[in-house]
Amino acid sequence: MVRELWTDILPRYLTFISHITPILKETLTIIRELDKRELLNLEKIEEIREEEEKRNIRTVRRLTEFLAMFRSKVYSVIKEFILLNRNKYPLQENESVERYELYKKNLNEYEFHKEDMEEFESQKKTSRKKTNLKNFIIEYLSEVIDALEIMSDITNADQSNYKKSYLYLLVKLIEGKIFPRGGNLHEIYNQLIKNSAEFYECQRHILQPHTYYREDIDNSDFFVLPGMTPKVYQIINNITSLFNLDPSFGKFPERPGYEIPMIIKDDVFMPYIDSIANEEEEGLEAICERIGLRIIDGIFISPKEEFVDILIDNYFLTEKSQPDGIIRLLPKFSNETLVLYYLAFASFRRGFLSKEFVNWISMNFGFLIYNSILKWKLSEENIFYDIFRDLQTNEKILPYLMKLICFPKYLGLDRMKIRDSPQYRKEIFNFLGSQIDNLEDLMNEIVNYLKKLNDS
Amino acid sequence: MSNLGDPQWDELLKNFEKGIQIAIDRLEQRNVENIPGAKEALLNRLNNLKRFFPRNEGELFIRTIDNTIQNTFFPNTRDFSEAFEKILQNRTHEQDFIINELVSGFVTSKSKALVAGTTVPIIDRMVEAFSKSIDFQIVDHQFYAMFGDPNKPRKYVKNHLDEIVNLFGMVSREKRVEKDVRRSEEKIYTYYTFPDKILEILKRNYLKKNEETGYKYISEDFDRNVFISLFLANLAVNRDNQKIGGSYTINGICAIFSLILLLALMPAIDIKDDNPLRDNRNFNPNNMKVIPKSWMMKNILEPIFEPLIKIISYRLGGSLWLSEIIDSEVNKKIHNQIRFLIKDVNKWVLGNLCRVEIPIFIEISNIFVEITPERE
Repeated sequence: MVRELWTDILPRYLTFISHITPILKETLTIIRELDKRELLNLEKIEEIREEEEKRNIRTVRRLTEFLAMFRSKVYSVIKEFILLNRNKYPLQENESVERYELYKKNLNEYEFHKEDMEEFESQKKTSRKKTNLKNFIIEYLSEVIDALEIMSDITNADQSNYKKSYLYLLVKLIEGKIFPRGGNLHEIYNQLIKNSAEFYECQRHILQPHTYYREDIDNSDFFVLPGMTPKVYQIINNITSLFNLDPSFGKFPERPGYEIPMIIKDDVFMPYIDSIANEEEEGLEAICERIGLRIIDGIFISPKEEFVDILIDNYFLTEKSQPDGIIRLLPKFSNETLVLYYLAFASFRRGFLSKEFVNWISMNFGFLIYNSILKWKLSEENIFYDIFRDLQTNEKILPYLMKLICFPKYLGLDRMKIRDSPQYRKEIFNFLGSQIDNLEDLMNEIVNYLKKLNDS
Repeated sequence: MSNLGDPQWDELLKNFEKGIQIAIDRLEQRNVENIPGAKEALLNRLNNLKRFFPRNEGELFIRTIDNTIQNTFFPNTRDFSEAFEKILQNRTHEQDFIINELVSGFVTSKSKALVAGTTVPIIDRMVEAFSKSIDFQIVDHQFYAMFGDPNKPRKYVKNHLDEIVNLFGMVSREKRVEKDVRRSEEKIYTYYTFPDKILEILKRNYLKKNEETGYKYISEDFDRNVFISLFLANLAVNRDNQKIGGSYTINGICAIFSLILLLALMPAIDIKDDNPLRDNRNFNPNNMKVIPKSWMMKNILEPIFEPLIKIISYRLGGSLWLSEIIDSEVNKKIHNQIRFLIKDVNKWVLGNLCRVEIPIFIEISNIFVEITPERE
């Protein structure tokens, strides 16, 4: 039986972080203690790495291998950096490491008042110019250690005071913008609409798992909710356009005296030749359910009663009295009208999402959190950045972070659906390559939030 | 390409005129617009299109298709690197949506898709794999590790890899290593990379160097659209031999380009100050214009679209491409679905059709305005 308790997952998440942090700290100490001339000797650096390698005796082979790989990457980055820059930054005898350390100390103690920020930035720039190679490496290593410390303190084992943990705060921040919770669909939908001007592309992105080809449109288990495939997205666009162009109107079954817009089912599928949209056509009822629509008399597509109220509330339906006294509800849909209902529906039924969908959403959250912490702590030119963006590092941390995110107090998804196989690697590859600009905007917002949080 | 005295071109222009007239007649019979004056503005515009586009041997068509659409998305050159660079230069956030749809949009009506199913996520993996290597190359075993399916033989992955290499115009090279790290034996590695000139462009655009530290890295701008641009450039330079794709690809690309042309030519409509659209946060008056929506009606679009697609196909690939635009029911259906594409730049906001004013639309509309005295 797979162990999936908080107390099982958290140590797994922390394992690699707690092993790579000491490696970086050891390296930092070694670099600090090295004579500046020794630092320029690449053979010496290699010797140190080999010595360090010998010192570690671990019982778990997989861990030992990973740590050896990690250490060798750290050292090779340092060596490459020295090789590139040793002529550019010659040794400056009049500048001591201690002086730089003092600067670093001041930096930590510095109070970030707005009026002082400019002065501080200029101080930092000047100090950096004075530094030598060694200090660059020390600074970069310190940044990485800071980031790892935040990652290891992201939450705590007993979840006491969890509402103040980074994990909780960040999940809630992202959740509020792209996958909000709420007591009913109306509430969730309104929350999504509120954030759609800024983050619609993100909202749409988390609805579209890149492993859509494994999804069943019409799952035999009615409750299982798949992500939105590109074809379903296109069908949603067709439906939106047909409602806006020239809909028919029919009696509103639940409300006498009202007419609701309807479009003909076959019009939606007319452009699809051969058997290209057969699956979608057969599963139309399920698709309609997910976008707040229903099929009337077997041929018309029309909004469901509960969706009508949401549509009226957001001006997507407007009332128009007819000469015969009947009130006609005219559709004025936007691109996001039906797409956001799908997302609201998924958020409301988050316990029943398909495996692909759960992996995709939690991976988005995991990446946003992981990358935001790195972006917050690491300067852009940090030479170790790539190690943390490397798949081999990501795959050790992200799957467990994804599981932590799924716990009920956080995102509340079915964590048992998070894959535990080498296939991860490929899923993560998919994810990394599919980044969109809007995710970057969201990440910047998270970084700003973290900065403010740290200042307060 | 001059079309003076080309009877085929003349016929295409005549058919366009006829098509527009049918659309005008149909439009006059019904009004589905909800903004006063929108129908009239569209009627005027259609009349102007009928009047000005076929003039001087279709000069306007030649300018708009050759100078804007081709230049931006489908450069008319035999040089792969030149084509690729031109497409890259024209990339903007919004135009990227078009590039994306060019690869994924039209294939949805195609049972044997060129770029469909798992290929799009594969592009994402390729992006990730190449963005880790500052030399823009990956070794075959790296590829197997990334794309291999333990339940399928390696041959399957290898064939797939060959397809992808062909699709993006990439090259494979061999490297002999005297002693490999594991067995100290001679080993030949096959690695996949881009042709030299493309490599130069990639390095120039996406390989960043930190001036302070000399640290080199691949910028985050290296994304899936770079690969899609590569696909388009490859297709553009091989347009004569149909090395890539076939009838569906030609129909799809021509249809999307026709949609771009049509969208750019739609008149902007003034909306009143009390229109709820103005208060909607998803409507940005600075870069969006409301356009009539009637053109999207099937019965109006159909007579315009087919001759327009034929004109575009003839400009892009001459008689060879034109012969692929057959007046079949299947093709009509494919063309019909195109009207609902590129929704990120042809948006619905509160029931109004809004065109996002991206460079390609502005360029086309400028050419039109420059040549035609606006009397609308």
